[in-house]
Amino acid sequence: MIGYVPGSTVAHRLDPRAKIAVQVAFAAAAFAYTTPRGLAVLSVLALAVARLASLSLAGVVRSFRVILPFLVAAPLVATIELSPPAIDPGAAVYPALSSYRVLLVVVVSAAYVRTTTVRESRAAIQRTVPGRPGVFLGVGVSLVFRFLPVLRREITAVREASAARLGTERPLVDRIERVAVAGATRTLGRADRLSTALSARCFAWNPTLPRLTLTRIDAPALALAGALLAAALFRAV
Amino acid sequence: MIAVSDLTHAFDGAVALDSVSLSVDDGEFLLVTGPNGSGKTTLVRHFNGLLSPTEGEVRVNGVPAEADLVAARTAVGMVFQRPADSFVAATIAADVAFGPENLGLSHDEIDRRVATALDAVNLAGRGDERIDALSGGEKARVAVAGALAMAPDHLVLDEPFSGLDEPARRSLLSHLASLSADGTGIVVVTHDLRGLIDRCDRVIALADGSIALDAPPEAARAELPALDVHVPASERLEGESDTR
Amino acid sequence: MATNTESVDLVGDEAATNLARAALFAALVGAFAYVSFPNPLSAGVPITLQVLGVFLAGIMLGPVWGSLSMVLYLAAGAVGAPVFSGGTAGISYLIASPTLGFLWSYPFAAGVIGLVAHRGTSLSEVDAVPTPVLVGAMVAGTAIIYGFGTVGFAVIQYDPWYASLWQAFLVSSLAFVPVEAVKIAAAVGIVKNDAIAAA
Repeated sequence: MIGYVPGSTVAHRLDPRAKIAVQVAFAAAAFAYTTPRGLAVLSVLALAVARLASLSLAGVVRSFRVILPFLVAAPLVATIELSPPAIDPGAAVYPALSSYRVLLVVVVSAAYVRTTTVRESRAAIQRTVPGRPGVFLGVGVSLVFRFLPVLRREITAVREASAARLGTERPLVDRIERVAVAGATRTLGRADRLSTALSARCFAWNPTLPRLTLTRIDAPALALAGALLAAALFRAV
Repeated sequence: MIAVSDLTHAFDGAVALDSVSLSVDDGEFLLVTGPNGSGKTTLVRHFNGLLSPTEGEVRVNGVPAEADLVAARTAVGMVFQRPADSFVAATIAADVAFGPENLGLSHDEIDRRVATALDAVNLAGRGDERIDALSGGEKARVAVAGALAMAPDHLVLDEPFSGLDEPARRSLLSHLASLSADGTGIVVVTHDLRGLIDRCDRVIALADGSIALDAPPEAARAELPALDVHVPASERLEGESDTR
Repeated sequence: MATNTESVDLVGDEAATNLARAALFAALVGAFAYVSFPNPLSAGVPITLQVLGVFLAGIMLGPVWGSLSMVLYLAAGAVGAPVFSGGTAGISYLIASPTLGFLWSYPFAAGVIGLVAHRGTSLSEVDAVPTPVLVGAMVAGTAIIYGFGTVGFAVIQYDPWYASLWQAFLVSSLAFVPVEAVKIAAAVGIVKNDAIAAA
């Protein structure tokens, strides 16, 4: 599983907004140049990004296995022609390039995930999205990070308790229902306690925004994002 | 100072507090006790305007709590039962900073308050640790730090010891004692008086939504059993021999 | 202390409760992504509860906050909370993965489910909603999820995309649609459950 790992790489020191710009621009370029040559150039760039973030490619590929079956099946299915029934291997080329393109974008975004704290992401959100929507997104995202492990542990405990009493022998719909009822009721209870605690700490729509300043090292990252975006736009027109 | 006059609170018609009056002085260490359902939590939730009175009034530093919620919630910090459900961030410092950020303070002031609050609960330098990985006692202390970062006059703790083991309980108690010694008013809501009754200035016992007892600790000791509150025997001696 | 209390724009109690519920339901959908049951129809495709979480967000939080809850889910996943299928995270899953249509459908699906179940934007008692209405709401939600999912898959993987919609459906959706019936049945049971009604 990928997640934040503390460190002092160049990627760790970049402003989260610059890193987000690079990811989006990289994806745009990858869509504009889904050709063998274009993807070859972008592969070199993706490797460089992974290097700057000390990202383990093996870890990324492992996290990738969830969508791998889709990426393999898509080009294979594309070769099938219905009328008249035939197989056209040439039709697999573009879908195969598309599948490879996903891997590259996943590598670049994994570099962000590995090198950016929740606090920085929240700062990037609240400094980009103004006003109440920004507070909603920033605090909401922070809460998701906080409560995901709590709820996962709770659901695991419910399933174990059920299995200990042979709940696994019950019909499928019944088992799903039990897990979900336990999860949802506890989630609502926690949300109510949480909102009281938020109010007690003067939860406000106009808080001090988290610190965030672009520095000199962000300049190359922003230039790269600009170049990738320009290249993508050039192709589009 | 918190002044409660003729406070009545009803939930959907059921009376939880019935015409309660009391005042809490600055710097006072107050114990609020009584059986389950006697109205303890309901009472203290009026101290910072989390609940509005059905009748009567609560004034914090002379101003009705409801008239200036920010002033009431800054003056009265609150630590809830099940502190794990009250954190907003995944790491310690980010959570403690939440209150000061809401007050719109400068970054330097926020940093200073977070550092002071963490120092007060013996968590200095651990701001980047994940809350999820902490013990129950440490989580309780982070919750206290989160309230302290608001620089409150009074710190209200609702059943702060439930779920804590004995060392964690004693550690939290000693932090409360030193906060009290430094002038912060402490209000502890609990039915478990171990280690508390001789540290506090005053004991209030509620029964069925009314004040059944309002007395200094020595007098309270004799009266509490009649109100169904268990008083631990000679706990001062026990507590002190434990710490050795 | 020196705080100017008038300048603080407090979030009201109701909004704070709704925000807390939205965020925790987003986390719950993420946690449900890790819960898998063996699939009686096809052993290779385990049943996860993510989509059930989307159904419940719409039903229990209503169209507005159910939908906002799913926006938080996407935002948190984009910046690194491991909430997407298989514990993955990253903005790539929202902008480049062929499965992006499924993720982007969640706010819309939760919104439509909430609208149908509550017959408008204001919340009604969920346990009083007739079962056929609940089932209809979730069937509509399922159609949105697989509609967005299939079109998204075709757009990302194929060129021209409209010529390959059936391939996209075959690869991305066919194996998953039947088990949605199981989740719809479970969701009906959950809504009628006493523990939820009391919450």
